Amino acid sequence: MSNFRPALWLAALGLAVLPLVAHAAPRIGAAAPDFVGKDSNGQTVRLGDLKGKIVVLEWTNDGCPYVGKWYRSGAMQQLQRDAAGMGAVWLSIASSPPGEQGYVDGAQANADTSRRNAAPAHVLLDPQGTIARLYGAQTTPHIFVIKPDGLLAYMGGADSIASTRIEDMKRAEPYAREALVAVAEGKPVPHPVTRPYGCSVKYSS
Amino acid sequence: MSRMSSKGMIRTGLLLAAMVAASPALALESAPVASARAVVTLATEANAAEPGKPFRIGLRFRLAQGWHIYWMNPGDAGQAPELDLILPVGAKASAISWPAPLRLAEGPVMTFSYIGEVLLPITVTPAQDAASLPIDAKASWLVCEKICIPEEGSFHLDVPLGTPSPSPQAPLFAAADARIPRPSPYRATLAPDGTLSLSGEGISTRSVKDAWFFPSAWGPIDQAAPQKLTVADGAFSLALKPGQMFDPKASLSGVLVIQDADGRESAFDVTTPGEPSGATARPPPPGTATANPPAGEAAAPAPTSSAGSAPALPRDMAGMAQTLLLAFLAGVILNLMPCVFPILAIKAVAIAKLSGSARSAVRAHALAYTAGALATFAGLGGLLLALRAFGIAAGWGFQLQSPTFVIAMAWLLFAVGLNLSGAFAVSGGFLAAGQSLAGRDGLIGSFFTGLLAVLVAAPCTAPFMGAAVAAALAAPAPLALAVFVAMGLGLAAPYALLALAPGLAGLLPKPGAWMETLKQLLAFPMYAAAAWLVWVASQQAGSDGVLAALAGMVLIGFAVWAFGATAGGRAGWRIGGRSMAAVAAVAAAVILYEIAASPAAPPAADALAGDAEPYTPARLAALRAEGRPVFVNMTAAWCVTCLVNERLALSSERVRKMFADHHVSYLKGDWTRADPAITQFLREHDRDGVPLYVFYGAHGAAPVILPQILTEASVLDELDRLGS
Repeated sequence: MSNFRPALWLAALGLAVLPLVAHAAPRIGAAAPDFVGKDSNGQTVRLGDLKGKIVVLEWTNDGCPYVGKWYRSGAMQQLQRDAAGMGAVWLSIASSPPGEQGYVDGAQANADTSRRNAAPAHVLLDPQGTIARLYGAQTTPHIFVIKPDGLLAYMGGADSIASTRIEDMKRAEPYAREALVAVAEGKPVPHPVTRPYGCSVKYSS
Repeated sequence: MSRMSSKGMIRTGLLLAAMVAASPALALESAPVASARAVVTLATEANAAEPGKPFRIGLRFRLAQGWHIYWMNPGDAGQAPELDLILPVGAKASAISWPAPLRLAEGPVMTFSYIGEVLLPITVTPAQDAASLPIDAKASWLVCEKICIPEEGSFHLDVPLGTPSPSPQAPLFAAADARIPRPSPYRATLAPDGTLSLSGEGISTRSVKDAWFFPSAWGPIDQAAPQKLTVADGAFSLALKPGQMFDPKASLSGVLVIQDADGRESAFDVTTPGEPSGATARPPPPGTATANPPAGEAAAPAPTSSAGSAPALPRDMAGMAQTLLLAFLAGVILNLMPCVFPILAIKAVAIAKLSGSARSAVRAHALAYTAGALATFAGLGGLLLALRAFGIAAGWGFQLQSPTFVIAMAWLLFAVGLNLSGAFAVSGGFLAAGQSLAGRDGLIGSFFTGLLAVLVAAPCTAPFMGAAVAAALAAPAPLALAVFVAMGLGLAAPYALLALAPGLAGLLPKPGAWMETLKQLLAFPMYAAAAWLVWVASQQAGSDGVLAALAGMVLIGFAVWAFGATAGGRAGWRIGGRSMAAVAAVAAAVILYEIAASPAAPPAADALAGDAEPYTPARLAALRAEGRPVFVNMTAAWCVTCLVNERLALSSERVRKMFADHHVSYLKGDWTRADPAITQFLREHDRDGVPLYVFYGAHGAAPVILPQILTEASVLDELDRLGS
């Protein structure tokens, strides 16, 4: 019995922890809330299935001038391609409900992607705002970077200067890119939480 | 554009026509930059300026119906207008004086905005030797309805020099002044939970009917969260919700808008003092985190509240020493708690065993026990901190929320009881009335006795250490661990004394036959504890859990018998007996695994028996919104104190009648299993464990926290006081 006891204790302690896992609002260093979404091609995407890969969430609205800055300049497309090069899965999420600016169906989303020459892994259609509410997405763009172990590493703005002017991007601190590179290199993210800026996410009421 | 109503178009057209008609005043108001959404000009307050004398100009917005622009902190989305002035050499300009904004909520997104007509004033001081005063300005602004349009424009003004008199636009400046914040006459402080308190003369429910705090930058507070107002004579508070960048030590600044009972609004600049020393006193630069915050600290609000009883985090060595001393004393007191009694029984046996032993053996055992207690306290504390760091809602006593753990504990205590009853004897085991006391196994035994004591005692700490444990968990990890270790030291102190004071060991009674009788007697507290734990498991895992727990006990009983009955026999018998014991033990382990793998059962109905409704934050908010008095009881089946309170104080006829007479709603939160909503509620009240009793008086009165040990009289008194 005396040899058996320590092992039992360890097992009991270990098992005791399991049922305690519970999710709250997204927090840096905590597990990113899991979700299931449909993409523009009708494919189901589950965050939990992407464990082992970096995942980037980008809230988008094609009509928003702040999103426009990032796509007119080509910076967002470049970031998407660089992310893919690092093995990251890029999810653009459209959370506008029907009738609001930024609402897209699958065909429109695909047309926008090819017109903008964008390179997301998926465009998720979230017209109910379910995923947006889960993450507390406030603006377009609003960026979240999730580490391969499923923990949230970054939430905030695409960069540091809130403006619709392309020329501001040169002198801005590229928060989203910085976070992505840090995660890919296994380093701590220098600014894990920053102010998201842009148009408000159009929540369905 | 497409969203612009025809009415809006007509209105904009009329505005433009009116401005052209007013062309004589054009020198005092620039040509407009106009869209269907906004007509923007640069205007002066006076019709002439004097060299060297400050005067005001302002960027004037006239917005079409439904459109808005943003305050200096736009809120969760949007962007403030930007203005660049080009002034003659020697002239100076101030920053914009921002009038207080309005709140516009779009779902969970809150923005701080202006609608209709607004003027953003700037003070310009011409040079002493100015001969003329041309002012050029470039501005950009984001104008939003549901969609947002960035706009920009250039403005030119030639301000005449001469004796100033009010310009036709002066009333616009006066209107802006009414909403430009004045220095606050109130003293402002920020509590670690985000509550902003203001005190000063003239504050009453009449002078402060409604209030809202607009933070000057994104980050420190959740901008969309409600700000609950509590007003008393001479002071009021707003319960702000900490945001992503909340730092209780940093200064918080912003604009407070107060509405009195007559609907008049006043705006004040408010800045809380913050911590005076070091870099932490500076607010982080807007829009960035200053550093890579340790995981888990980033957004976790410190679990303290305005209730006043919360121990602040120790800021200096003296405070730290005091905290550690309190933790130590709490540990000592733990020895008297009911949930430690079964463990005391083990200790009593151990002490009895030590009677007459060599001093060195006594010391070694005492140290091993102390080490076990310390290691377990530190381990539990560390595990708790780690769980929190990963965003898992856990509280002190969390291990008892797992049915697997509870059942394993019940089995262990059952096995210990069997051993004390003499069902089997393991020579060298930690419970054996053995000879090889100084043996290695014996010391391991003492270590595990310490471990066991802590695991079972942990939930008992709540009444004495609830607030301190909560504070410790909010403190930096090394200090938090030190608090846990101090508690462990306290728990082990009586025993450790035996090691440190050799004379004491000599006072132990002489060994004899009485030891065997005592040992058998002490088996019964063990069985009682095991029975209690099975009942706890029944609350967590239902009747299946009870069956599993009892089946496991049968297996353990069999294993013990097979082991004990063959221990004295020939080698073959011994091997056979031990094999059977091993098979039974494995079967028990499989049962345990099954319990861990099976989904949690719904809460047993018994946990919510009586007149109580289950607690949910929404239900509490709804009842309070109705103005009903509410009694909240946070409890758990494994919390002995909670059960005693419920039986003796809360279930009495008189208390029930009092509840009914005063229409008190009784909400009960069952923390027997992990429940993040309840953990959250506990933390909001500086607690990290149950029990917790909070009474909310009728009509939004401030909540009162009742003591953790209740009597019928104390509950009735409290209700009487609050009810009248």
